[in-house]
Amino acid sequence: METILNTQISISLIVGIMAKILMVMILVMSLVMLRQTTLMDKVIKLPVGGSIKTFIWSFFGLLLLLTVIVVLA
Amino acid sequence: MPEIFGTNKPEKIDEIRQLEKSGKYKSIFGSFVVEPNRTRFESQDDDEIIVILGRRHFVTNLKWIATACLAFFVPMFWGEFPMIKMLDANTSFILSVVWYSALLFYVIQNFLLWFYNVYIVTNERLVDVDFFGLLYKNINVTQIGRVEDVNYSQRGIFSSFFNYGDVVVQTASEQRSDDKSEKSAFAFQSVADPDLVVKIISELMEENQLSRR
Repeated sequence: METILNTQISISLIVGIMAKILMVMILVMSLVMLRQTTLMDKVIKLPVGGSIKTFIWSFFGLLLLLTVIVVLA
Repeated sequence: MPEIFGTNKPEKIDEIRQLEKSGKYKSIFGSFVVEPNRTRFESQDDDEIIVILGRRHFVTNLKWIATACLAFFVPMFWGEFPMIKMLDANTSFILSVVWYSALLFYVIQNFLLWFYNVYIVTNERLVDVDFFGLLYKNINVTQIGRVEDVNYSQRGIFSSFFNYGDVVVQTASEQRSDDKSEKSAFAFQSVADPDLVVKIISELMEENQLSRR
């Protein structure tokens, strides 16, 4: 454990920050996926397209909740 | 009364009639769907009928499914690594949450790319929809009348065993696909029942030539 500018830097702290950044990146990518699914559904309208969109929205909601929990933890 | 201005509804080709009778090839999650219900594509005309909707054979997904299954068990064993052993319980939990979120994202993304990367054969046209990753799509459309040649190839044990292969459609156009691995703009890769696909396209070509005369 190192002390820099009165802050104790540990491996847990570094890994924790990196994990939080990763979580935010996954959230952003899931937002891109959500948009892409809407575009894919526009190109080909399949009978299960609506259900798939609902599923992706649910995944995004879950990920948003997890990101908030992880970032605040 | 003779019908002068009839509805001019296109007749089904023999192969499609036989496949419909068999009752197979109806699931929308299948790799080869004959006349799918409630399915439309972007530039479809009102009198255009989708004859086949196809995608890569399900077996081609085994690679990412196996990777995901393996990755699922990784957090159960990573406590053995000294680097991860040093982390406190809170960080270790966060790391597991990130891992499983990324894994779920990977699975959904691969499924979507498989599900929406389709080829469509209608009574008038061939449509090849390719999505590369999440940010790029490539859609090729050609008239049946412009198709010059259609053939298929099967390579390897898996493709022979599960009956899938690449269908290559040569058109009058010299346009190439953005996917450099494809031999033509209309290369349907790893499609299920390539023999049936070739047969149906050939019959549609014949029908198209007859209607022109």
